[in-house]
Amino acid sequence: MENINIILFVCNWGPHTAFQTLQDIRADIPPEIKMVRIPCTGRISKSLLFKSFEKGADGVMLVGCKSGACRYGSGTTTAIENIRDTRELLELVGIGKERLRLATFLPDESEALLQLLTEFTNKIQELGSSTVVPSKGQAPEFISRELLAETVSLHDVFTCQDCGKCTSACPLALIGKPFSPRAVANSVIAGDISSSVKDDIWSCLTCGLCYERCPSAVNFSEFIQDIRYLLKKSELTGHETHGGFFHSLMRTMTTPELKTDRWNWLPDDVKIDKKSKTLFFGGCAPYFDTFFRKFMDVNTCNILSDSIRLLNFFDIQPALLENERCCGHDLLWSGDKENFLKLARLNAEAINNLGIEEVITACPECYRSLGHDYAKHGVDIQFNVTHLYDFLEREIGKGAVDLKKMDRNITYQDSCRLSRFENKSDLPRKLLSRLKPDGFQEMQETASAALCCGNSAWIGCDAYSKALQVKRLMQAKSTGSELLVTSCPKCQIHLKCAMEDPFRGDDLKIETMDLASIVARSIYWE
Amino acid sequence: MTETKNKETTKIDVVVTGFGGQGIVLTGRILGKAAALGDHKESTLVQSYGPESRGGACSAQVVISDNTIHYPYIKFPDILVCMSQSGYEKYIGQLKEGGELLIDQDLVRPGKEAGEIWYSIPATRMAEELGRKMMANIIMLGFFTAITKAVSLDSARNAVVGSVPKGTEEMNLKAFTKGCDYGLATLKGLEKKAAGRTGAIL
Repeated sequence: MENINIILFVCNWGPHTAFQTLQDIRADIPPEIKMVRIPCTGRISKSLLFKSFEKGADGVMLVGCKSGACRYGSGTTTAIENIRDTRELLELVGIGKERLRLATFLPDESEALLQLLTEFTNKIQELGSSTVVPSKGQAPEFISRELLAETVSLHDVFTCQDCGKCTSACPLALIGKPFSPRAVANSVIAGDISSSVKDDIWSCLTCGLCYERCPSAVNFSEFIQDIRYLLKKSELTGHETHGGFFHSLMRTMTTPELKTDRWNWLPDDVKIDKKSKTLFFGGCAPYFDTFFRKFMDVNTCNILSDSIRLLNFFDIQPALLENERCCGHDLLWSGDKENFLKLARLNAEAINNLGIEEVITACPECYRSLGHDYAKHGVDIQFNVTHLYDFLEREIGKGAVDLKKMDRNITYQDSCRLSRFENKSDLPRKLLSRLKPDGFQEMQETASAALCCGNSAWIGCDAYSKALQVKRLMQAKSTGSELLVTSCPKCQIHLKCAMEDPFRGDDLKIETMDLASIVARSIYWE
Repeated sequence: MTETKNKETTKIDVVVTGFGGQGIVLTGRILGKAAALGDHKESTLVQSYGPESRGGACSAQVVISDNTIHYPYIKFPDILVCMSQSGYEKYIGQLKEGGELLIDQDLVRPGKEAGEIWYSIPATRMAEELGRKMMANIIMLGFFTAITKAVSLDSARNAVVGSVPKGTEEMNLKAFTKGCDYGLATLKGLEKKAAGRTGAIL
């Protein structure tokens, strides 16, 4: 029999009594089960459930109080939702939903509990070990002054003239956070990375606006990326949001044996050709939609299906990477270069092996990572990377295609990766002008000077991020537009999150749609 | 419509019309060269000017044939390419039934006599976008090649390179490709329309 690990989260109130009864009578509890007593099943978030699998669990069971018997009222209801979503996520990532279960018991149902525990253990034994290889934790390393100095000189931060243009442009500073890129740069130059400096390093949005403004062309974002890499080695936490769920998900995907199943939701009308030399790289939308389902009306999967429909429209039936993993963007930007490289190599190798000539993606972050960061970090890529908008411009430019006139007033949220990092702020605007909308009104800060959506790489979300998002939404509202067009799934998620602000009511609500979906709905052959 | 593409048809009569200065005659010459030098067929060219050498009506008559051509003048063209309204009006009555009409959509407004199907391209506007208005004819030639397939793509391309002034080959090839892409897109659009699929979302 395989050596398997099962984690049993047991609520302190109802079922723990039942479990204790089993212990008292020395019942035959399967030895594979490790019990963790918890205050309430409602507090075991999707992130905690998922992390158990990342760290090597083969099965997880969450045992709580019977509905209505929850001491805190909503615990069981929350647990039901969390389990449903996490099971779907496990299915998408290829671990399998049957490895996670929820059960509820009353204090006196010890026999039924024992029966279920045995049954679940047998089931997991049958399934065998999970393929996930837990990444080994490392002992924190000391960051020497030399290492810091090396990073500083690599990015030529010494050329900082102390002019403060970065801080005066920084969206975080402008929203009132005591944060200054210049001060961070100076501290690191002086070899000081005390805890407040560290906090600032994790707070940076890496939106790149300071680099736009810097007269000495110090690429602060890239500098932050490298400093985070050093920090990550010296400390355990990385200021992750959402309980670190997304980082855990990305690390899980570094397991080479994992067979992800992220395309299972694809609608039937979308045409795919396994032998095509053009590959559509989707990105993490299916995970986002499942994870955020409870909170917002997030539907970023539409971006992927509409993008493929647009390719189909031009008679391109792309291949998909069946075992597609995250591009690794967020790991790279949160200091985890090792795992970024693992993902990059796995993706690049899989695409190379298919003999793909052109990779098309609609995600600005995937575009940046695949097209820029993979090669920069020495990953061998034998294909061209094209953004969907470039492809559309190329094809629409050939003629005989038009876009239906849009009888709405619209405004556009730039993606930092596309508009600033890749200097392509004109590209979505060309497409927007082809839509001939009733009105296209730019927000106050726009194109390469656009305001960030408030977060990047799933780290450092705080009240200031929220304030930033509210500010951006107010700018969008003040253009008088009815529709906010986005080009990055994360801009959509973050801005929609801010729209839910209960204190603002409907003040911030504005219909939001991705450009790819809009084009797909209005394009036609003349 | 597809008669001209039929292999059994051995002779294709093409009339290109427009204003003097648009490069109508050069278009005819390149077309003839492509057929003769590239596709190893027979071809003839007859050019006619109106009274004014610049801005007046102008036309080129090109016959492409697998066999010896006995008579180079064209009374009833299989394909009519119009880059001016006057040229259109003069020749449209002579276009064979089922013949193909190609126009610059900003310069020619076809009437009832044009029938139901014709092929249009904003060649002059596209040439202006490329920065050289004078290359409208080459764009039209690319469009012509893609739509009618009267000459092969490679032959037409080589003929363009061999006929335009030295140093402008690259620009002209770009123009040719643009016209050709537009033509292929037009055909694809017609195909999609015929299949009832004009949008991206079903």
